[in-house]
Amino acid sequence: MPFKDIVQRLLKEPLAHFLIAGALVYALLSGRAPDLGERRIVVDERVVSALVGRFSDSFRRLPSQEETDGLISDWVRDQVYYREALALGLDKDDEVVVRRMRRKMESLAVADAESRTPDDAVLQAMIDKDPARYADDPRTTFEQVYLGADTPQNRQLAEASLGKLRKGERVGAVPAPIPAQLRDAGSSDVAAMFGDEFTISLRNIAPGQWSGPIASGLGLHLVRVEKRTAPQPPRLDKVRQRVENDWRANAAARARDEAYDRILKGYDVVIELPK
Amino acid sequence: MRTTITAAALLLSSTMLVSGCDKLSQVGGSTAEVKNTAYPEQVFWGDTHLHTANSVDAFGFGNRLDPEAALRFARGEEVTSSAGVKAKLARPLDFLVITDHSEGLGSTKALYDAPRIAINDPTLLRWYDLMHEGPKGSLQATAEILDARAHGKMPPGLNDPAKAQARTHKIWNEGLKTVESYNEPGKFTAFFGFEYTLMQGGNNLHRNVIFRDGIDRVNKVDPLSDAGQDWPDALWDYMDAYEKTTGGKVLAIPHNSNLSNGLMFMLTDPKGGPISAEYARRRAAHEPVVEITQIKGDSEAHPFLSPNDEFAGYGTAGWDQNNLLNTQPTKPGDLAGSYVREALKRGMLIEQRTGVNPYKFGVVGSTDAHTSLSTADDNNYFGKHPGVEPSAERATASFVPGVPVERVGRMNWQSLASGYAGVWATSNTREAIFDAMMRREVYGTTGPRMTVRFFGGWDFKADDLKGDWVKAGYTRGVPMGGDLKAGGSGAPSFIVSALKDPIDGNLDRVQVVKGWVDAAGNSHEKVFDVVWSDMDKRVAVNGKVPAVGDTVDVATATYQNTIGAPSLATVWTDPEFDPKVRAFYYVRVLQIPTPTWMDYDMVKFKLTLPAEIPLKQQERAYTSAIWYNPA
Repeated sequence: MPFKDIVQRLLKEPLAHFLIAGALVYALLSGRAPDLGERRIVVDERVVSALVGRFSDSFRRLPSQEETDGLISDWVRDQVYYREALALGLDKDDEVVVRRMRRKMESLAVADAESRTPDDAVLQAMIDKDPARYADDPRTTFEQVYLGADTPQNRQLAEASLGKLRKGERVGAVPAPIPAQLRDAGSSDVAAMFGDEFTISLRNIAPGQWSGPIASGLGLHLVRVEKRTAPQPPRLDKVRQRVENDWRANAAARARDEAYDRILKGYDVVIELPK
Repeated sequence: MRTTITAAALLLSSTMLVSGCDKLSQVGGSTAEVKNTAYPEQVFWGDTHLHTANSVDAFGFGNRLDPEAALRFARGEEVTSSAGVKAKLARPLDFLVITDHSEGLGSTKALYDAPRIAINDPTLLRWYDLMHEGPKGSLQATAEILDARAHGKMPPGLNDPAKAQARTHKIWNEGLKTVESYNEPGKFTAFFGFEYTLMQGGNNLHRNVIFRDGIDRVNKVDPLSDAGQDWPDALWDYMDAYEKTTGGKVLAIPHNSNLSNGLMFMLTDPKGGPISAEYARRRAAHEPVVEITQIKGDSEAHPFLSPNDEFAGYGTAGWDQNNLLNTQPTKPGDLAGSYVREALKRGMLIEQRTGVNPYKFGVVGSTDAHTSLSTADDNNYFGKHPGVEPSAERATASFVPGVPVERVGRMNWQSLASGYAGVWATSNTREAIFDAMMRREVYGTTGPRMTVRFFGGWDFKADDLKGDWVKAGYTRGVPMGGDLKAGGSGAPSFIVSALKDPIDGNLDRVQVVKGWVDAAGNSHEKVFDVVWSDMDKRVAVNGKVPAVGDTVDVATATYQNTIGAPSLATVWTDPEFDPKVRAFYYVRVLQIPTPTWMDYDMVKFKLTLPAEIPLKQQERAYTSAIWYNPA
């Protein structure tokens, strides 16, 4: 049976007739605001269609006659209470209503922001604004000898070992599951292995010669930096996905803020300090 | 753009097995060169188990953060938690698997967003209204939803298969796009996955399913939902079908065996008969890794099963009384099928009889957080779900605040700020990390990022530690997860090396846990202290090393690294080796005592906590085992 016929059949039923008597179009379902002065509620084809449509969306079948009557009387009850409540101003200090209205407005504002695609100029501008964020890590090739915990004895030992290393002699390291040689290690990998303190110290060590001891979250190390590579400036074709992710992650928040700023312009916000 | 991903992903999977440097992958138009090292040089840290607002329970608990927020957080970006607090990981993770429950994917959110007028099931209407009341009502509704699930009483409105399938398909495919756009080979790996929530009436038989492949293969399937099965066969069939139709690869990680009432690692097959070689082979092939520790407790060992191990019983209290949904009390006889150490022993018993070990798995830790935030550090712990994000109340609340502990079975303080997965892989890519899981070269920690190496061979000597012992480990032995090579003579020797987390506590000791099976078909275990701090002063008495001491000041939630050692390494030879006897060996590393998250909360919120709440703990790492099989 076509949908329209079903609605028409339903409209012939006694309850629907009863409800239609003394009613007028009220179109919350179609998005228009209710007229507060109006005391007539109309259940017409459009209202019933919407109710039946939502029911079948949720349950993948048409409602029975009894269920339709239930939907209609529930809808009328909602409308009666809703309008009475608005007339009494019950929405004014209800935090849930206020929040929900705000959320509806916000979701309207951001509805299509996330599906848009930014053009290259927008992405390039994001890179230009914060190039370090998109640049590769600075890389370092270095050797390290781990001497164990940072104790006075080990600091003494470090002095002696440093002398030997500078003369080209071998020294024993404390065995630990970290590499003795790291090739082109990115600063974030170095930080993950040794901690931030070590990573910062490593930046200030002149290449070529054994130095130290420098401290890490693990203890003491002697270090010889062989090579340091500064990162290339980030290029859009290399980092497009990351920039686009950032753009997308912020798109909704940006659209929301812009919409708010526009609406806010129509208001005076006055803060009255207590006298 | 998508087509280049496809081509690159195929290239990636076929060249990943060789080492060296190849121009491997393209992600979303960005090119990256990913080098594979000849053998794993770096441990990659990740979480294989995280829920977002798309999980049916997580949304109900109040989670409003989508997969994108979860990925951004794991990658080190600042996000705002569901409770409105700004959160950022001190150290980013290297990889993440979002494992939302496939059952009713997105359905709680759909119910919440539905027009109220369309809901006429009184139960659904009640949940809808509770959720809209606010956080408290939402927790109540979620407890009721889980209850209904446990008793098979979900209202048809939430269970309509056709509708659920359409919703799942839509949300799954949206999620795939997000995950793909955050996967950055060499920098951050975002895996596709889901949780298969197999749960005979509340007994936890859950599995996390992880795909090795890119979107071009994974979008050929939807996640599998548990349709009331009792055993994981349907999942294994699904995995086989995926591999056959797409040429891809997929694995499953069981978790929370501690809440399975003995069903996770049974000695028998589901019908109570002996496990067949075929069943054992099938299980081992699909489930190479088990999650050993997470927020809902630790499943390594239980004091009842390991009375001689004074460190057994970490994170077991509260979780060993009942099954997941608190529908069936745990009997002492259930425990053996619920803990990993016992499972490793049972696996060998079954292997002795059938020739195949069904429980030959590696171990990882993960969070199972339902907050979209992978946090496993006690000093910045965001809780199991948004109802227990940082607050003055959470330390003394029930596991689901507002719902009595008699109903949910445990207190929130019984939660651990745990854990993470450490993976020894040749690069930070889906392929390399997945392959490391398949060969079990993985370990789990309760949160701290300790670096642990473990090699087994026949000729390791103390002097090896003076040279390139990692290379020696790989060339003359096998790493964690492996089988000792055949043909060795004498007793096996092991290189064990552990290093503290650079920003966490020192190490107390390193232990080797050995399990073996005798000719009579009985299993045994023994824990050996193999290297510890201040060995000259801490002399073992009757085989037990004295406690390391304690520097925790609970009044300030601080500790000092003046005890313990930053690194511990040794070459250990099994003094009780019997070449005729099947055995496994795994490493357990213990930290010095440090404050628990409850102690950090106590200081932060100026609380007085009841004496039963532990304020100190010894965090730990567990490696995958190395097995010995007699010729």
